[in-house]
Amino acid sequence: MAVTLFIIRKLGGAIATMLTVSLLVFLALEVNVADVAVKVLGQFSTDAQRATWLAANGYNDPVVLRYLRWLGAFVTGDWGTSTYYRTEIASLIPGRLAASGILAGGALLVIIPVGLIAGVLAGMRPGSLLDRLVSLVSVLTTSIPDFASAVFLSAVFVFWLKWLPGASTMLSGFSISEIVLPVLVLALYSTGYLARVTRASMIDVMGTHYVRTARLKGASPTRIVLRHALRNALITPVTVIMLQFPWLLSGVIVVEVFYAYKGFGTLLYDAALNSDIYLVEACAMVSVLVVVATQILSDLAYSWLNPRVSLADAAMGRG
Amino acid sequence: MIELKTNSGAPLHRDVADLCERVRSGAIDRRGFLRATAWLGVSMASAGAFLGMGEPAFAQDEAPVDGGTLRFACQIQELTDPMLTSWIEASNLFRNSLEFLTYVDANNVTHPYLAKSWTPSGDLKVWDFDLDERATWSNGDALTPEDVIFNIQRWIAPESQSSNKTAFAAIESVEKTGDHSFRITLSRAVSSLPEQLYSYTCPILHRNFETDGANWPAKPVGTGPYGLVTYEVGRQATFKKRTDYWGTPAHLDEIHYIDLGTDITTHLAALASGQVDILYRTTIAEYDLMKSLPNVQVLSGRAANTLVMRMQVDQKPFDDIRVRQAVLLAADNQQMLDIAYRGEGDIAGNYHVSPTQADYFPLEPIPRDVAKAKALLAEAGYADGIDLEITLGNTQGKWEQDTAQVLQQNLAEAGIRLALNVLPASQYWPVWDKVPFGLTFWAHRPLGSMTLDLAYRSGGAWNESHFASPEFDAALDKAMAVVDPSERPKAMRGVETILRDAAVMVQAYWPSRFTAAAQTVRGFELHPADYFRMDGVWLAKA
Amino acid sequence: MRKAILPYLANPVVVVGALLSFGWLFVAALAPWLAPYDPIKTILPLMQPGAANPAGGIFLLGTDMLGRDILSRLIYGARTVVVFATLATVTAYLVGVTLGLIAGYWRGRVDAVLSYLANVVLSFPVLVLYIVIIVVIGSSPFNIVLAVTFGSAPAIFRIVRGITMDVASRDYVAAAVTQGERAWRIMVFDVLPNATGPLAVDFCLRLGYTAITIGTLGFLGLGLPPPTPDWGTMVNEGRGMAIAFPHLVIFPCLAISSLMLGLSLLADGLREVSDAQGRRT
Repeated sequence: MAVTLFIIRKLGGAIATMLTVSLLVFLALEVNVADVAVKVLGQFSTDAQRATWLAANGYNDPVVLRYLRWLGAFVTGDWGTSTYYRTEIASLIPGRLAASGILAGGALLVIIPVGLIAGVLAGMRPGSLLDRLVSLVSVLTTSIPDFASAVFLSAVFVFWLKWLPGASTMLSGFSISEIVLPVLVLALYSTGYLARVTRASMIDVMGTHYVRTARLKGASPTRIVLRHALRNALITPVTVIMLQFPWLLSGVIVVEVFYAYKGFGTLLYDAALNSDIYLVEACAMVSVLVVVATQILSDLAYSWLNPRVSLADAAMGRG
Repeated sequence: MIELKTNSGAPLHRDVADLCERVRSGAIDRRGFLRATAWLGVSMASAGAFLGMGEPAFAQDEAPVDGGTLRFACQIQELTDPMLTSWIEASNLFRNSLEFLTYVDANNVTHPYLAKSWTPSGDLKVWDFDLDERATWSNGDALTPEDVIFNIQRWIAPESQSSNKTAFAAIESVEKTGDHSFRITLSRAVSSLPEQLYSYTCPILHRNFETDGANWPAKPVGTGPYGLVTYEVGRQATFKKRTDYWGTPAHLDEIHYIDLGTDITTHLAALASGQVDILYRTTIAEYDLMKSLPNVQVLSGRAANTLVMRMQVDQKPFDDIRVRQAVLLAADNQQMLDIAYRGEGDIAGNYHVSPTQADYFPLEPIPRDVAKAKALLAEAGYADGIDLEITLGNTQGKWEQDTAQVLQQNLAEAGIRLALNVLPASQYWPVWDKVPFGLTFWAHRPLGSMTLDLAYRSGGAWNESHFASPEFDAALDKAMAVVDPSERPKAMRGVETILRDAAVMVQAYWPSRFTAAAQTVRGFELHPADYFRMDGVWLAKA
Repeated sequence: MRKAILPYLANPVVVVGALLSFGWLFVAALAPWLAPYDPIKTILPLMQPGAANPAGGIFLLGTDMLGRDILSRLIYGARTVVVFATLATVTAYLVGVTLGLIAGYWRGRVDAVLSYLANVVLSFPVLVLYIVIIVVIGSSPFNIVLAVTFGSAPAIFRIVRGITMDVASRDYVAAAVTQGERAWRIMVFDVLPNATGPLAVDFCLRLGYTAITIGTLGFLGLGLPPPTPDWGTMVNEGRGMAIAFPHLVIFPCLAISSLMLGLSLLADGLREVSDAQGRRT
């Protein structure tokens, strides 16, 4: 019951958010009608052609009407035609999003185990050599911007050692060797971040009353960590992991552009550079949709890990 | 004495005898002779024999091997109507499937292609062309004069948006004269017409192109040695060898053009790791990187491509010629070449005709004079200096911006505060002819007069500086009618002087061109105009 | 007062972090005196680190392809980062704190609307938001500051709103209200001081992210216009030549990373010390 209510409320919120976002995106990109005509028809079009096009496509109608029509088309899956790619946007995005999903998934496969294990091990014994090492490495890796690590990893593994390919187009099918570098760049930053969060959370939990009690009772350290500490210590990291999705969506832009990976990031980047407004609109909407969806999932995961927070509370928003 | 012959079998043009005389006396060189006789329809085999050098052919030590797939790193741009293309990259894609009436090789010599011969009238105003009767379309149709007439009429139609409209403004009519022949009539004499027909916007499309939807990749009918298989903007385009090609078959089985984004470092990384075989272009910034890579051959050449930092003569404050002159006088062309392009090129003198072009006339350089620049500014009412903004898009690489940054420092010495407005490359093209002060890359053209005709003739579609001078137009008309290679530069002297003295642009240097390919790539020529014909390219066994 | 600062100074993490971050602040402030050369002036192209300048002096970190002294560009680049990242972060704070105080204090409809809008903005992935903003309004220093403000303010808003709601429910605030204290005085003098701890930590981290974001935009070619020395742009410009001339890329990367490192150490340390204090009381 609580779950259903929770999901309904969350979905309601998500729909409201999407509506507002759509309005913002529409206003930002389509208020200047003359601009739209130039962008869609190209610079060589004549004023007469533009005027005809604007009239034919209903651009002379009031903004409200245009917005509603645009929204209606968008909801029904008609996202328009990309001026740069010359195809239906709705057929362009899923493949690109999936490609980015593979990239982000690969990154998470590295980030989650390495980050969690390093963080838990470090947080179990604060001040130990291992803790110091994990803290040092993680603070260092989180200080290197992804574009810098992309440059260095390429220099070392492509040009110097010649172990890995330098571009990740995946045009001749999926290739493990092509995905290594982009994944590594994405993982380098986030793993350190997750390790730091997990460590801090672990230290907190290890200092709590019931863990200290368990320790006094003579429970073995492994048992304490596995039975008592871990579940509580994971609350924050799991939220962090879920919040990594939107972050990865940003991170993939740099990495995909650098490695010529044909994913959602390069799609948005190309769309932006080529003023392909319908595609920019669709990309912005889709990326927000991804974020909103992960927020809901993150709330579900949070309440599953932390039964003290009821879903009803969560549905009210935690600020 | 070896007789010169024309490809058509028609009598030699009256200027040919004169050209023979001049090449014998040494007044013109062999290349100039070949170029000029080729325009007049002389067979290159006979011209080569005349010079005692055989047909100018590509020297090869190895016998070409057929087969294999070549992967070419190249941006895959939007492409619908080839005559509207403003990206040479796109033309290299359709160049595999679409052919031109003539072919201009890397040495700027014009050869027969779809047109097997041509004969100009004595006054160079009426040109008779014969089509190669073997030529057929990939859909089985024969190539006919109707195809050619359809194309030329589209180029020059009143509503045409093609740059061909300016380039072929002299065409008065085109008509069918036989089953495989047609005639072009010009309003003024143009000697280099055959050469111009190889411009990248001039591929011959099937006569049903428009009724078929005017979208070439959607219905890729062509006469060329390769057929288009897939075309995905931003990803890749693939071509497959046609077994029923009418001419000499190509060597490679397939060519895959792969879009690796805009970052050339990534292109080189892909080349170094064997993901592609050849790159479209590299820049000076990657020079050391390219040289350091084993298994990679660096190709370089000089051509008439350049950066033009032009000022619109009808926009404030550039409508005052003293402002423009001050900019030119304060600019240090040598320093721009030395710093922004590391000295890899030739210095230029702000008139957009290159020493590599046959009609080049070297004008006496005007020395840099900062004091005079300041004086001119003061005279124009800017005694306290002036604020200018130049817009650029790094369309060829960061060296565009580097050049502008050196100019910025040069101009500062004269009290001109130049701001740089750097746009992403794709955002520069929509405004390239609109900004008052802009930096534009101009590709190579075989003749200086061809570039000037496109870029500086009054009212031309690509006249980005809005320069308009009847005197210049008249002088250019005259220069374009000259056939004799040794007379052309003389005719261009006046043209260049008018343009330079109008202080339309800072055109500092002619950058060398670079690209890189795997060691296995054979037969690839760095064509000066970036027109890469792939039918002669093959892959050696590694 | 001394008692308040002392624990921070005793914490090595805080000290190292502060040294790094304030070191760059110091460098930025004194750039004209520290930089050996004009950062935008062409001298001699592509000199290796330590090469002698024929006109006297040495290029400690070498010169770039346009012959500009890299050390001087790094030093002036610190100004770009400090000025733009700080300016962007501070404006984000002004907006976020003000709206957060208002929403947390008055709650009700104002809070509902503001929280909702904050949620909407936060549902854009950061870089997507910046790219869209820059596509719409173009790239200029002002626009980058604007984009960062727009993108960061909602997160700050959330922190401040939470703390304000918490503090506003306490007795002494209620007492102040009954004494007829004006709302803005309560917010500034009673509520805000309670938020300084978490905000200081967040400020350090956010400043670092903003610096990296400006660098990333420079790297994507959407950054500050040349010849402004900017670390991200320096990395981007130099990477084509990085194999032959690694100094073009290594030093600006070190600069960005050391600043980021300093700020995150400072944030960590501040949190550690305030947590320790919290536990003692």
